[in-house]
Amino acid sequence: MYAAPGNGLVERGVSVVLSESSALPSPEAARALHQRLLDGDPVASSDLAVAYLDWLAAWLARTNPRDERHLCDTAAEDAILGLSKRPAAYDPERLGLEAYLRMAATRDLQNLRSRERRHSRHRADWDAVELAPDAGKYLWDEAGDPARIVERREEAMANETVLAPRLAAAREGLSEAEAWALELLRQGERKTAPYAAALGITHLPLAEQRQQVKRVKDKLKKRLERAGGPHG
Amino acid sequence: MAERLEALARRVQSDPAFLAAALADYARSEGLDEHGLVKALGCAPGQLAPLRLCQRPRAEPAGQFRRDVEQIAARFGVRAAVLAEAVRRSDALRALRGAGMGERGTLMAARDRDEEQGPADNPPGEPR
Repeated sequence: MYAAPGNGLVERGVSVVLSESSALPSPEAARALHQRLLDGDPVASSDLAVAYLDWLAAWLARTNPRDERHLCDTAAEDAILGLSKRPAAYDPERLGLEAYLRMAATRDLQNLRSRERRHSRHRADWDAVELAPDAGKYLWDEAGDPARIVERREEAMANETVLAPRLAAAREGLSEAEAWALELLRQGERKTAPYAAALGITHLPLAEQRQQVKRVKDKLKKRLERAGGPHG
Repeated sequence: MAERLEALARRVQSDPAFLAAALADYARSEGLDEHGLVKALGCAPGQLAPLRLCQRPRAEPAGQFRRDVEQIAARFGVRAAVLAEAVRRSDALRALRGAGMGERGTLMAARDRDEEQGPADNPPGEPR
């Protein structure tokens, strides 16, 4: 009993009904799809991509308007492929599939951004080296001085080295969702939506989302204070 | 929708875990372009991307390969025999590539092997 992809997915007698409101599989259908991935069903990875790829890429683009579209698309692809290849990494008891994919895609987007930054930094280093003999160039632009660039980078690395163990201490014993909320906090995220996505509570009324997000943020801030982290 | 799925399907062409890789190997060895592949498989052009995003049929346990091929074929309306042949051909090509033969040599060897064995739904190593 099969149906065309994208028009309600049916497999092994389990109907993957697309909910009317979001055009995404219902929570029950999402669980069944995840189970099929775990079972090694060869069609499940295709169903996952058909059901979630477009939505996930659109969500990423909407919530990260400053990122280029190709980065959002690649991050959404990475998240879908990641779950296809390692379905056991997702625990449906802890998080809804949509929330998990949002979380994974956001992480993947951050990784892609870092990679791009490293790439452009590397390019800047070479440019700086090539331009270095022209010392006069930097007399009116101290910020562009290669020595200052290296100095600032070293400062940033030193900060990261000091913060890393504190963050690790604060992260201990947190659920995956809370750990992700902690990462958002570290990045200075202020909006409720990304936290709600990380915590898997986007289905709740907005007021309740705000309340729950605030409670979690307060808890995490206290942990960071105790660990002497960036909010401490 | 189709655009992103197609991009993802292209991306996994180099990943042997996905059917995309097997179909790419098969199309190359047969000299087929996308249209030719769709024609050989007998599916609707719009089904090619989701088909490529399926996992490669499992070789084990015995009989699993046939079951997976039939499941995929029924779902996407493709010819099971061609699909099975595509995966078998790809397996053979990859095995030969792993053994260090060149592309030209691998294609000739794969064709020789097909002529000797004839089409069947069993993957290499699975009892017939």
